[in-house]
Amino acid sequence: MHFLKLISTFFKVNVQMSLAYRADTVVNILLNLMWLGWELLGLNIIFSNTTSLGGWGIGELIALLGVFRLINTLMIALIWPNTQRFNESIRDGSLDYTLLQPAPSMFLVTFSRITVWRIWDLVLAVILIVVGINTAGDVATLPSILTFLLLTISGAVVIYSLWIVLIALTFWFTKFDNNVTILQALLDAGRYPVTVYPVWLRIIVTYIIPIAIATTIPLQALRGELPVERILLFVAVSIVSAWIASLVWKAGVKRYSGASS
Amino acid sequence: MLNIFKRLWQVNWAEQWQYRANLIMYLLYWLVSPIIYLAVWTSIANSKGSVNGFTAGDFVNYYLVLLVADQLTSNIVIHNFAYKIQDGALSSELIRPIHPMLTNTLVNNLAFKALILIGFTPVWLILTLIFKPDFSGVTWQGVLLAIPAMLLGFIVGFLLSAAITSVAFWTTRVYSIHEFYYALILLFSGQFVPLTLMPKLVQDIAQFLPFQLFMYYPVQLILGKLTTPQIIQGFVVGFVWLGLSILFFNFVWSRGVKKYSAVGA
Repeated sequence: MHFLKLISTFFKVNVQMSLAYRADTVVNILLNLMWLGWELLGLNIIFSNTTSLGGWGIGELIALLGVFRLINTLMIALIWPNTQRFNESIRDGSLDYTLLQPAPSMFLVTFSRITVWRIWDLVLAVILIVVGINTAGDVATLPSILTFLLLTISGAVVIYSLWIVLIALTFWFTKFDNNVTILQALLDAGRYPVTVYPVWLRIIVTYIIPIAIATTIPLQALRGELPVERILLFVAVSIVSAWIASLVWKAGVKRYSGASS
Repeated sequence: MLNIFKRLWQVNWAEQWQYRANLIMYLLYWLVSPIIYLAVWTSIANSKGSVNGFTAGDFVNYYLVLLVADQLTSNIVIHNFAYKIQDGALSSELIRPIHPMLTNTLVNNLAFKALILIGFTPVWLILTLIFKPDFSGVTWQGVLLAIPAMLLGFIVGFLLSAAITSVAFWTTRVYSIHEFYYALILLFSGQFVPLTLMPKLVQDIAQFLPFQLFMYYPVQLILGKLTTPQIIQGFVVGFVWLGLSILFFNFVWSRGVKKYSAVGA
């Protein structure tokens, strides 16, 4: 309850801040639609030349685009603005005040900035997923849709945890402030099933910067390709990674000594 | 004049050299999407034998040469000029007796390119070892033709980016317009897929736009895939766009500078 209250407060504050930039918001939504058009055109071009990509049909790839956009929204609406603020607060010492507040600092640092208009993007992503699943037709069953949802959430948790570890490294290496760039750079690999990539790239985006866990893996669950033990494994991975992230964060905060005073 | 450029080079090279640590991140950004497209299209070509005449090997050749062309023809004007208009730093450059865009910013772009090439060359060589392209179709005539084509592509791209960045004289924020421009490049330059695999409509429009000069046209020149009429048409369209982009840049710049009133100090 406590956290929900905090999130809704953060949300209100951010809505007020973004109302100051109305024209910007309209332009951004239009640009966002343009990119959606481009992505769909891209899929159309691919599927006018073939009937399947890595064994997947167009329906699955539309759903994958939806999942990719969910993770992308997580990046743009939450990860980038909060990283920027966090890096500033380490440099000028204002992190002190965050640490003094009576709520977990990891929570405050990672949720206080939200690019509100991106909520719209979540709606688009859900539409894409629903349309994709429908187009894929007989592939999806109720249990596979449920495991798909479960693994999408656990994939997002893995990305979130990796992000926390990346920004927490700033406590040790102050100069490490383009930490999130590496996540963003590899994110594009989530647009297509990783099974089409060369082995080395597949290893990078599955195990090192696990974009695939949040994109390809949920889609494989939707197609009913994952045995139960692997589903449990991915859920366990997400729980463990969140736990590790919180440990790293706590150790980092202990190392922190204010910059200004 | 030569002395001015020499001094500007020293200053800008020193400035770019400070950022060499960001080089890896930049290279990563620039590598990922062509490699993804390459993987997608080779996988399709492998499953069907060929796509519209393109075999997996053809795609490998195309994207590996495209990486070079992209590197040589692209520019970073928006990143090192827009903020000067926004925060007023341009004032000190405007009082100098030389054109800020066509001297300092141009040299800054060239210094950036030189630095990138140092990092790029070994990475590209490693990629050729991984993907094993077949460059037996490359002729010296093609390469000799591609050099002026890429130079043309760089100049046209630079002037167009400069003109678009100059819109900041009116709107202060110019990144949205630039994003739209970037989408046009993606659609019409052949970056996503060789233009011949695009829908007919896109191809018909693309051959009269400047964007194919950035990638598709020089790549196909190097790989020796164009007929003589196509080569001539490409250069004619390129020179027409050179003229248009000079006019366009002058138009926006001369009005923009008059409009400019420094923000801040």
